[in-house]
Amino acid sequence: MNELVRHPTGLVGSVLLSLVAIAVILGPFLAPFDPQAFHPAVRLAGPSGTHWLGTDQFGRDILSRLLTGAGPTVLFGVGATALGVLAGSIIGVTAAVAGGWVDSVIMRTLDGLLAVPDLLFTLLIVTILGGGIGEAMLAVAVAFTPGMARIARSSVLSIRTREYVLAAIARDESRAYIIVQEVIPNAIGPIVVEATIRVSFAIMIGATLGFLGLGAQPPSTEWGLMVAEARQYMYRSPWVVAVPGLAIAVAALGFNLFGDALRDAFDPRRRR
Amino acid sequence: MTRLVANRRQVVIGLAATSALPNMGFAQSMSPKYGGTLKISHSTRIATLNVMQLSGPAEYPCVDMLYSGLTRIQPGRNSAGPDLATSWEANEDATRFTYNLRQGVTFHDGTPFTSADVVATYEAILDPDFGSPARSVLDVIDSVEAVDDHTVQFNLNAPYADLAISTAHANARIVSAAALAGDRNDLETKPNGTGPFMLESYDSARITRLVRFDNYYMEGQPYLDAVEMHLFPDLAAETANYLSGNVDVMLNVQQADFARIAAAEGSNALRVPAGRYVNVVMRQDQPPFDDVRLRKALAMSVDRQLLVDLVLEGLGRPAYDNILSPEFQYAIETPGIPYDPAAAKALLAEAGYPDGIKLTMVASNRPAIRGQVAIAIKEMARPAGFDIDVEAMPHDTYLANVWRKGNFYMAYWGMQPTEDATFNLLLTSTASYEDTAWFNEEFDELVRRGRSTSDPAERAAIYAEAQEIQLRDTPYIIAMYQDVLTASRDWVEGWIVHPLNRVFFIESVWLNRG
Repeated sequence: MNELVRHPTGLVGSVLLSLVAIAVILGPFLAPFDPQAFHPAVRLAGPSGTHWLGTDQFGRDILSRLLTGAGPTVLFGVGATALGVLAGSIIGVTAAVAGGWVDSVIMRTLDGLLAVPDLLFTLLIVTILGGGIGEAMLAVAVAFTPGMARIARSSVLSIRTREYVLAAIARDESRAYIIVQEVIPNAIGPIVVEATIRVSFAIMIGATLGFLGLGAQPPSTEWGLMVAEARQYMYRSPWVVAVPGLAIAVAALGFNLFGDALRDAFDPRRRR
Repeated sequence: MTRLVANRRQVVIGLAATSALPNMGFAQSMSPKYGGTLKISHSTRIATLNVMQLSGPAEYPCVDMLYSGLTRIQPGRNSAGPDLATSWEANEDATRFTYNLRQGVTFHDGTPFTSADVVATYEAILDPDFGSPARSVLDVIDSVEAVDDHTVQFNLNAPYADLAISTAHANARIVSAAALAGDRNDLETKPNGTGPFMLESYDSARITRLVRFDNYYMEGQPYLDAVEMHLFPDLAAETANYLSGNVDVMLNVQQADFARIAAAEGSNALRVPAGRYVNVVMRQDQPPFDDVRLRKALAMSVDRQLLVDLVLEGLGRPAYDNILSPEFQYAIETPGIPYDPAAAKALLAEAGYPDGIKLTMVASNRPAIRGQVAIAIKEMARPAGFDIDVEAMPHDTYLANVWRKGNFYMAYWGMQPTEDATFNLLLTSTASYEDTAWFNEEFDELVRRGRSTSDPAERAAIYAEAQEIQLRDTPYIIAMYQDVLTASRDWVEGWIVHPLNRVFFIESVWLNRG
């Protein structure tokens, strides 16, 4: 942990992530207003003493909406990434351990899927499954799976011939024991780093889907949806678009910087 | 500057007619200049040019330019005037109509227009397998026959006084008999009408270009050389292009942008009060909406003026569940329904829900106004004990699974030309898009009688009674009437807005550019 905070990127990332974490955990309790309550007298107002970040087209308090929206927005990213990492790791480890034609078939298939950009792939899946936050999360997870599988596989492959694995084989340990006790703990580093960075992409894709009307649905306070709903009012009050937009940027940047720092921390060559 | 178009009940409605009329008078006193290309922006695709079946907002102006009907809705009012028919008369009991057709009219390809084209068009419309939207207002026609080359006769299966308005239906424009006898898929892309403009190129994803038809029957018109319909799928881009002067007319202006466009230099924002509405559909053949007290309780839980302010930016009027807006000739003075959550809560308890009721309301995502109204109603009705869960849904899914099937959802309808068309669209037991299961025989009978009564006083009484029954039972909650909004640059003369949003009179538009 010290290692992380010493890096400037790690420090900034950690600070931003802490802010986001506070909003996620305490947001609904910190919100000064009911996020769905209308205040018709002060529609589309800028920041003021009562409404610190202004109000939207229905006169709803933006700060309250932002705070209650942090949970759904960030958990979407974390949840989608976790699902993708889990599925990807299982596929990647299976391919690496099995080797031979099984490996070839799995990896060629995934390479084909990797050629499709994440967002396009997600849109394709959402179109098939239908919109909604659950479907969108599943779609992002599926889109992340090929990339994660490739990373998991290469990570396992580089470990497979290490001495401690060979030693375990020589001890005649069971295959399951070797995978669970020797391979996975040592292969997990790159996977965790990649996952952390991917959370930021997942948040952005989630916001994009919300913006396109395919993710969270009104009156949800998901940040991407907030931007989408407010877009037609941005000439009247830039705050309605800028505030949730900035929030998405902060969350994504936080995960990204943190992931970068994590990678540096795991990299023995960059350790002093 | 905001221009309001003259309207029968404008003063009653209480919308200020500020600087509108002098400006229009000025425009009319100048003699029109010929030439130029009018560029119109729109945000929905022109998916087809098949005049007999289309229903898109940007498709209506195209067919209004390409085709003519027997009759045409007049500017600023809901009455029919001559178009391809110069005059028409009914027999004593309004069961047989004779239309005298205009002489010397030709289609764009040069073939002359005769009664055979009218007969072929109406037979196609009346064919149930063809599925024309005009059929619901024209199914009173039993048969149509050509008396001679320029006279047709409609034999009706029931007396119907408003036939001339029905023959002005946007989808009832005259197509040549040859086109209908040939491959009907050609109607989609190769329109051959008698209207003021002919199709030059059609690209549904970008630009549709129409050029002047030199043999249009109106002497000296149209003034323009060409009209281009530019598609802007992105609303922000559409507004930006209009404001920068790249396009001359914005077909539909969003409420959120209206004030900005009205304030812009050299831009005329036009609005006209119309009977367009979002209605809450409550299916009444099953609980809980079979109880009128529940429907009334919800009606009292909607703050209608606030809804107009929040969702329409004030560009509309509060409605009190009457399907007829004040523009209709026989609309009654509808009593207001005050926002009273406490009384609604009491009524809800009386209906058997002392602890409130949980409901799921479906709102499709197009246009956005459905969702906005749904969210606003959810919040407004909460203090009265309604716990409404708004389920947003893609429009196609809604059309396939919810529309006319679900028991609680948001619908959205444009204004119809007549009382009869309005009632028969939704509310009578045999209505084209009946979706309430209200089925009130008394109401059906009144609408039937109103249709065949020609004495205005008698008709007013019948329609007043029908509206009273409707207000008593609250088959729908209709909370507001939405104005029709459009905008034109100030070098565009003669661009007007009609509450029905189906006729555009582009043959009278000209460009006053120096």
